[in-house]
Amino acid sequence: MKLLWKLLRQHISIGQLAGFFLANLFGMIIVLLSVQFYTDIIPVFTEGDTFMKKDYLIATKKISAIGSFAGKSNTFSDEDLKSLKEQSFTKNVGAFTPSQFKVSAGFGMQEAGIHLSTEMFFESVPDQFVDVSLDKWHFDKESRNIPIILPRNYLNLYNFGFAQSRSLPKLSEGVMGLIQMDIVLRGENGQQEQFKGNIVGFSNRLNTILVPQAFMSWANNEFAPNTKAQPVRLIIEVDNPADASIAKYFQQKGYETENDKLDAGKTTYFLRLITGIVLGVGLFISALSFYILMLSIFLLLQKNTTKLESLLLIGYSPAKVAIPYQILTLGLNLIVLLLSLGSVAWMRTYYTEVLTQLFPQMEVKLFWPAIIMGLILFVAISLMNIIAIKKKVASIWMHKS
Amino acid sequence: MLISQNSLSDYKTRIMNSIHLQQTLPEVFAERDKIESEVWHKDLVFNKKEIYLIEAASGTGKSSLCSFIYGYRNDYQGIISFDAQNIKAMKIKQWVELRRHSISMLFQDLRLFSELTAIENIQLKNNLSGYKSKKEIIAYFEALGIADKLDKKVGKLSFGQQQRVAFIRALCQPFDFIFLDEPISHLDDVNGQIMGELLTAEARQQGAGIIVTSIGKHIELEYNKVLQL
Repeated sequence: MKLLWKLLRQHISIGQLAGFFLANLFGMIIVLLSVQFYTDIIPVFTEGDTFMKKDYLIATKKISAIGSFAGKSNTFSDEDLKSLKEQSFTKNVGAFTPSQFKVSAGFGMQEAGIHLSTEMFFESVPDQFVDVSLDKWHFDKESRNIPIILPRNYLNLYNFGFAQSRSLPKLSEGVMGLIQMDIVLRGENGQQEQFKGNIVGFSNRLNTILVPQAFMSWANNEFAPNTKAQPVRLIIEVDNPADASIAKYFQQKGYETENDKLDAGKTTYFLRLITGIVLGVGLFISALSFYILMLSIFLLLQKNTTKLESLLLIGYSPAKVAIPYQILTLGLNLIVLLLSLGSVAWMRTYYTEVLTQLFPQMEVKLFWPAIIMGLILFVAISLMNIIAIKKKVASIWMHKS
Repeated sequence: MLISQNSLSDYKTRIMNSIHLQQTLPEVFAERDKIESEVWHKDLVFNKKEIYLIEAASGTGKSSLCSFIYGYRNDYQGIISFDAQNIKAMKIKQWVELRRHSISMLFQDLRLFSELTAIENIQLKNNLSGYKSKKEIIAYFEALGIADKLDKKVGKLSFGQQQRVAFIRALCQPFDFIFLDEPISHLDDVNGQIMGELLTAEARQQGAGIIVTSIGKHIELEYNKVLQL
């Protein structure tokens, strides 16, 4: 093998291989970086609401100063609900059920000497609007454990407000999921019960503290048996949130909707578009570099044709003669893969630093997307190289000049 | 016969006993009206353990014959078969095996690698089968008077010296038949004679057939048959 290599490395052009190497390296870095950046940044826009069904609106009645003083109710009546259900844009309507009892929740870390406690409220929506897996989104009276979905604002409030001012550690969503809240419920007759609360998710769009419907029904019945809960907010599943008839109907009825859905949609669309373009450029450069390598190797094989012929004539098999060239390309591809993964990891430290400052809840994961993409490209390019070289050597055998 | 460790397990069954030429003719000769030859367009069998001399004038297809039998050209009419197998039907893998274990060839143009030293050239071949020990190889170099050229680049040797290197390489494999295409065209008589002795000894030991071509001066051997091409 050593002799074979000594013989066949003649005519290797360092310039050409360096050209391939650099082109492939840049192509690979661009592809991997764009894939990695996209997967890193996309949760900032979309994450948090994945547990909610896709296209939904939240409707409230307008609160006006006069209305408040006049004691005009801003709850939805059964007729309102019925009318909404009949609209063509509606797929499903659910009411937010507010809690009719007093809730105080506290959480703390004894080791850090922190204890936060606050009066608050719960709301629930029918389970079909929530996409958390059922074993998590489940209330069992015996376990006294309540799954909770919090608005992400609360976490930001803590991280940027409270923790910042008191030099406390910032918390990521993952850590928050591990913290148990102590929840005390007080009924209208003065009864009081203790529960544990577990945060199962954060939402950008639901400005409420969400608990399972089953818990809410049970608790309202237990602590406030005489009061009927009237919904003040509705959740509406629609086919197309940009449907003009929705706006028209809402205006006519005097409803309001928290409508930021469209903006996030636009941002992710453009992000996808830009990533796609960058990815395309990277793949194009990779394809070109592959072409350069193939040309270079073919030229090398061409220059060594006589030698290859002689080797085949003295009993070397085409496969064996192809091996040095295949190892050469494989080695180059491998170095390119490792270098590009290294550079992506290095460049990533710069933008993740900025990202974690802006979005502390974001968790920096290992760069699997880049690794997987890199491996796919490596295997694909190497396979094509190996097959092309094999064919070229076979053609020298067939040449039979 | 020595069998290298690399050889296929079915090697024993692959031993070649004869090369059979049936009405074989290079395609370029097909249009000629008259062919006077004891090889072309005849029914001819080369047998193991026998020694043949093919005498030819230039342009009678001597090298073509070698390339047909060695499988790197197939522009001929008729049939060439090893034992009963038509060689046109043989696969690459079979040819590779044959070239390693059954047929050895000393090419007229030698096909040495000028960038490698003489000993490296031999090793490149010998590594395939591990047939000869380094000691045996060096003994060949000494016998042929080129022991001082072992580590010289082949490109720097004279053609006569190169011929001897290529000859040694041809002996570094097991074979049933050995072809020598004008082996002594650039050798003096003494070296030609030594080469003849080494060749006969090796062929006898292996029980192999020898086929030598020549356009004039030919190596002195106990030929069983002399054919005019």
